[in-house]
Amino acid sequence: MTAFHDAAPAVFDWLRGLARDAEVWFPQPAGSANFNFERVDAHSQLSFEGYRPSIVPPVKRLLPAREVMFEFHKDADGRYAFQQKPDAGLRVLAGVRPCDLKGIAEMDVAFADGHADPLYLRRRANAAIVAYACPHPCDERCFCGSTGAIDFRGGADVFLTPDGLTPDGDALLIEAMTPRGEQMLANAGLKVCDDAKTIRERALARRPQPFGRQLKATPEALPAILAAAYDSPVWDKYAERCYSCTTCNLVCPTCYCFEVQDEFDLDGQSGCRTRTWDACMSPAFAEVTGGHNFRAETAARHRHRVKRKFEYLTDKYGMGSFCTGCGRCGRQCTVDIDIFDMVNDIVEQAGGNAR
Amino acid sequence: MSALPDINDDLYIPQMGRIVETYPMTQREKYFRLELDRPLGHRPGQFVMVSIPGVGEAAISISCGPRDDSVLEMVVRHAGNVTGAMHRLEAGNYLGIRGPFGSGFHLEEFEGRDVLFVAGGLGLVPLRSLITPIMRHHERYGRIRLISGARTPAETLFRDELKAWNALPNVEVIELVDRTDQLPWDGEVGLVTAPIARLDLDPARTLVALCGPPVMYKFVLMELGMHHRIPREQIFVDLERRMKCGVGKCGHCQINSLYCCKDGPVFRYSTVAALPEALA
Ligand SMILES: Cc1cc2nc3c(=O)[nH]c(=O)nc-3n(C[C@H](O)[C@H](O)[C@H](O)COP(=O)(O)OP(=O)(O)OC[C@H]3O[C@@H](n4cnc5c(N)ncnc54)[C@H](O)[C@@H]3O)c2cc1C
Ligand code: SF4
Ligand code: SF4
Ligand code: FES
Repeated sequence: MTAFHDAAPAVFDWLRGLARDAEVWFPQPAGSANFNFERVDAHSQLSFEGYRPSIVPPVKRLLPAREVMFEFHKDADGRYAFQQKPDAGLRVLAGVRPCDLKGIAEMDVAFADGHADPLYLRRRANAAIVAYACPHPCDERCFCGSTGAIDFRGGADVFLTPDGLTPDGDALLIEAMTPRGEQMLANAGLKVCDDAKTIRERALARRPQPFGRQLKATPEALPAILAAAYDSPVWDKYAERCYSCTTCNLVCPTCYCFEVQDEFDLDGQSGCRTRTWDACMSPAFAEVTGGHNFRAETAARHRHRVKRKFEYLTDKYGMGSFCTGCGRCGRQCTVDIDIFDMVNDIVEQAGGNAR
Repeated sequence: MSALPDINDDLYIPQMGRIVETYPMTQREKYFRLELDRPLGHRPGQFVMVSIPGVGEAAISISCGPRDDSVLEMVVRHAGNVTGAMHRLEAGNYLGIRGPFGSGFHLEEFEGRDVLFVAGGLGLVPLRSLITPIMRHHERYGRIRLISGARTPAETLFRDELKAWNALPNVEVIELVDRTDQLPWDGEVGLVTAPIARLDLDPARTLVALCGPPVMYKFVLMELGMHHRIPREQIFVDLERRMKCGVGKCGHCQINSLYCCKDGPVFRYSTVAALPEALA
């Protein structure tokens, strides 16, 4: 695969060029030091300066907050005809951090498992990913260095590695990772480089060690620790101040639960079925007909969320923890409930350090 | 991403089923017989997602045994939007159907064994998909016992069938109501747990299938454990959870690490015994 080494502005020119033919999404400032993936065009200002994880993770461009599953129309007989409109356009997600890259890879596996989900997977197949290796922890919340996500490289079509500590001033290593990545870079006019490995290793070696906050147990040790912590008082400790607002689910790159709703057009004959994000922190999430709720307590829902990230899906898919360590849930929670603290409390209670 | 898996683009698209017969069975439950475009090809214990486009979708058990024609039988309790709208439909109307989904029972495993069914209320409806084929070929099985409970005589389901099954050789059907409400009643009065102690069960030969409201499982399992040493692998529970997709994606039906819609709704007790959320 081809690699290039060039100044950041040349890379941004290349991305702006891509935006002429495809939908290109790039992290853009969204007020008070926040970022969000926005659609950019040939004239957009692009920069990695101050780039913190976007409020909404990039994978949610592939799993929108609301999407039409199909449209229906009732004929004179009362039978329904169904129609799907596949979301077919090519979409480039650029500036995807390793944590979010891992989030996408985990969604890929979850949606492909068993009954493959056509809506996500068709959209995913048309998405090209330009990843961006973090030179330093984004802020005091991230802990990707401890979940292992920091070194995740799977699923990217192109990988950008800043060759130094100040991303914009410096050069970037641009590596094609897939045939599609090759194709995207074919006419970019970037400077070809033949010692990508040396440059990459040098850049990665300059990262601070340890990289960001560290969990007190490895992703491999956590499933067993959590399995033994079912009745831990830690769940109640955090539940006491939680509003069950569900923000922590909605901003998480590996939360994919959804609700299904039908909408009727005014003619009464046609409409659509939609799916919208749902959240296991929502009080009614596990309530069944008759009113029985299998997770009525906030603490039970916290336990479910944490165990899902660090135990259930870890055991099920063997991809390490389903928490990437992006830090979003803690960053966005108004009462400062951080999954990092919850997990560390559990580890401490289980007898301390398992790193 | 690496190679796309086989994708069924119609995963969420229902097929049409025409209602050929429907009538109220009780004040709250209605029977439905549908004719589909093609045979469902289901196992006992599986379920379908039933749609009324514009209203929504609900998980409903398949109540008939496996069959070669395109018939689907269901019994639906008026519980909310979709089930309420279903209660307003009549013969000739259409419903959307997806499935069959879920694990279900494997009939072969029951051959040559003694069988105990315990059904609480609407639990008889899904179990009927297993009871019917077993009763049809009762000679292939050992002793068959069925305990079926309802709250009152007015809420009993499929009484004709229960009586016909009871008349078969080697079959005993015990019908109970919690209270008679001053209605005529020729069965027993009490909870479904009551007759368990007196049953003469051979733990090595017996398979048990349970289905009922969430509260029922704990007590039936306790009674079984106290009076009969049936290994947990030989006990099946049919569980209900909130289901929005039926295919392991929406997350609503998760029981600890398992998905009720995909790994269940029929589970061996040995699989779920250690899961705190399963029978809570
Ligand atoms: C595997 C399986 C098999 C089943 N088989 C059968 C069957 O054979 N027959 C049958 O009658 N039923 C069956 N059910 C139950 C059936 O799926 C539910 O009763 C049905 O989904 C209710 O849908 P609805 O749209 O009519 O009700 P809804 O309008 O969804 O409301 C029903 C009830 O659900 C709760 N609820 C719904 N939405 C919310 C919310 N947003 N917040 C809080 N509470 C809410 C409330 O308690 C409400 O009263 C089965 C369920 C499962 C999982
Ligand atoms: S964001 Fe915070 S307050 Fe809201 S549900 Fe999550 S933990 Fe609770
Ligand atoms: S659980 Fe929190 S830190 Fe972990 S991936 Fe989700 S949002 Fe990020
Ligand atoms: S019903 Fe959606 S995951 Fe089981």
